[in-house]
Amino acid sequence: MGKLNRVKRRLVSGAVSDNLETMRGFGPWTLQRRRGSEAWIRRTYMVLLPVSLLASTLLVSAVTGEFPFVDDRRATMSVGSPMQPSPAVVSAVDAKKNAAPRPSPTEKVFTELPVPIDVAALDLSVRRVILDAGHGGSDPGTVSGPLLEKDITLDINVRLERMLKQAGFDVEVTRHDDRTLPLRQRANIANDSSGDIFVSVHVNSIRGSHAIRGIETYYLGPTDDPILNELAASENRGSGYTLADYRRLLEGIYADVRQDESRALAEAIQKNLHGDLVAVNPSLENWGVRKAPFVVLVATEMPAILAEVACLSNQEEARLLETGKYRQQIADALFKGIVAYARVRGGEAEKGI
Amino acid sequence: MGKEVQQVLNVGIDLGTSRSAISASNGEKFVVESFVGWPVDMVAKKVLKRAVLIGHEALSNRSMLDLHRPLERGLLKEGSEKDVEAVRELLRHLLTLVGAKVDGTGTTRAVVGVPAAALRTNKQYLRNALKGIVDNLMIVSEPFAVAYGLEALLHSLIIDIGAGTTDFVVMRGRYPTEEDQRTLTNAGDFVDEQLMKLVQTRYPDAVFTVYMVREWKEKHSFVGNPKGPVIVQAPVRGVPTDLDITIEMRAACEALVAPAVETMIDLISKVEPEFQEKVRNNVILSGGGGLIPGLAEALKKGLDQIGGGHVRALEDPVFIGSDGGLLLAQDAPDSDWEKLTA
Repeated sequence: MGKLNRVKRRLVSGAVSDNLETMRGFGPWTLQRRRGSEAWIRRTYMVLLPVSLLASTLLVSAVTGEFPFVDDRRATMSVGSPMQPSPAVVSAVDAKKNAAPRPSPTEKVFTELPVPIDVAALDLSVRRVILDAGHGGSDPGTVSGPLLEKDITLDINVRLERMLKQAGFDVEVTRHDDRTLPLRQRANIANDSSGDIFVSVHVNSIRGSHAIRGIETYYLGPTDDPILNELAASENRGSGYTLADYRRLLEGIYADVRQDESRALAEAIQKNLHGDLVAVNPSLENWGVRKAPFVVLVATEMPAILAEVACLSNQEEARLLETGKYRQQIADALFKGIVAYARVRGGEAEKGI
Repeated sequence: MGKEVQQVLNVGIDLGTSRSAISASNGEKFVVESFVGWPVDMVAKKVLKRAVLIGHEALSNRSMLDLHRPLERGLLKEGSEKDVEAVRELLRHLLTLVGAKVDGTGTTRAVVGVPAAALRTNKQYLRNALKGIVDNLMIVSEPFAVAYGLEALLHSLIIDIGAGTTDFVVMRGRYPTEEDQRTLTNAGDFVDEQLMKLVQTRYPDAVFTVYMVREWKEKHSFVGNPKGPVIVQAPVRGVPTDLDITIEMRAACEALVAPAVETMIDLISKVEPEFQEKVRNNVILSGGGGLIPGLAEALKKGLDQIGGGHVRALEDPVFIGSDGGLLLAQDAPDSDWEKLTA
């Protein structure tokens, strides 16, 4: 009886604390700003933010050669490195450089500089496409009334899968029904299937700003945008990777041609998505191709992108998403993007496209 | 109602997607359908002679009402003023039924259990929506309230199958964290949707509504082998016609099983290994969906994949959640309640 009472006291105390946190504004959502608008971000994601920022730091470091805690030999990797950071990254890194004295290039030189790969030397035709429907099972993703992100992404992918197969592609999916699937498992499925490209479909939500809607496509890369890091933290939730795993994965990325290919794929998909959908959804904004450290993009071993194909927080767009017709239009646009990329890579001859 | 109210009235409320129940410390208990409706125009208002209708009354007069089921799919729709108002009306109605003074002359402390999904995603919004109706307010997840009511606080798995969501919680002797809980949208409404589609496919000329389908489900649902044919009546080209929906009913109800088994196994596999067997043997099926004949057996069979276990379906789950909330309200010390001013 004494044990039961102790447990009960602990539970009551837990329930009271949980409610007090909510009253103090530390509930599951906290108000943040995004693109000049107020946005609600999950508190859990904010907890994960330091991990995401750390990952981002590692990525920035990989580009600039400044590895603060990975390996002394790489401390001067930027000297003569053929890989150039983006202007956004440069500005962030410059500020850091100005703040601390740099080691002399003669102190330590990393001799194994990554060499860019000539893509023409490789057979990069697209045969097998891995489709990943974001979220699933106990993780509904973004929610708007009866509409759940996990259902929308699955429906779009089922349509896309059908079209790709009809066009002659091999298609593997990470999930074909409503199931919980950790990001690590999604990446494993993609890698085990020897996919040529990986396309992860998601739906955005800008909480607190119901007026805006837009499309954006991500590929793996560093970002100094804290909002993108937050978004990455939210999408990386439950990845199943430890920080050590993440660091190991990140270390191998930038000597790989995969990043350029991922960007090309992202550009082809973004162009077709916005180009096609704006005709039926005129207020749709083009938020472009962006870089962010999403785990599924890190862990997959092929050119990989994550497309935010719609904005569920916008009521008009939510209404559109309720219709099979609009979801089909999204699938059509994704299909065209994939085919456009495959054409450039010379895969179309084998697909009969 | 003219009931004598104690100086402090503690209440436990199960604010469900389909039905809401209240248990009060003065011994009163009520359950209402979670429907709130406002007359659509002046004519309707004149006919109904009421500004707002709640529960079965609202459902019965739905053609004249702007009808809201505020916790559709287990979530309170953010930004929908009508749904917020509907939740407030529902709560006011429940409190009035048990004799709580909502005019500020009494002190009412409420523990409100809500679908776990609502608690996780819009707790703050819910709290604001319920502000000012009671003096002190604590919001908890419905399966937690059920566990508390049953004193199944350690090494148990509660599966609460409601209308909008199926909520799972593993009780480990602590207030459940996100890791201890899961939510599926495969629940009562999902069964209704499936059944509607299947019957429509088989009998394309039959005309029926989701409300009829819901009634059929409540009368005839089952998992496993049927005990007899399920015959319902619906008009076909205006003629009342008997329809055999045995196969469709089974398929719709059994659609709950696979995701529930998968989630159950996933949650149990995350329990410390030495306690997994205890949890496997202490699975409790609650909520309206838990009453589906054969469901507990099907879930038990699912547990065979991980060494077997025991699934117990609660025979009368209507007030389990609200009773749990009431117990929680009574167990919380005054000092804690004082902090939880609504």
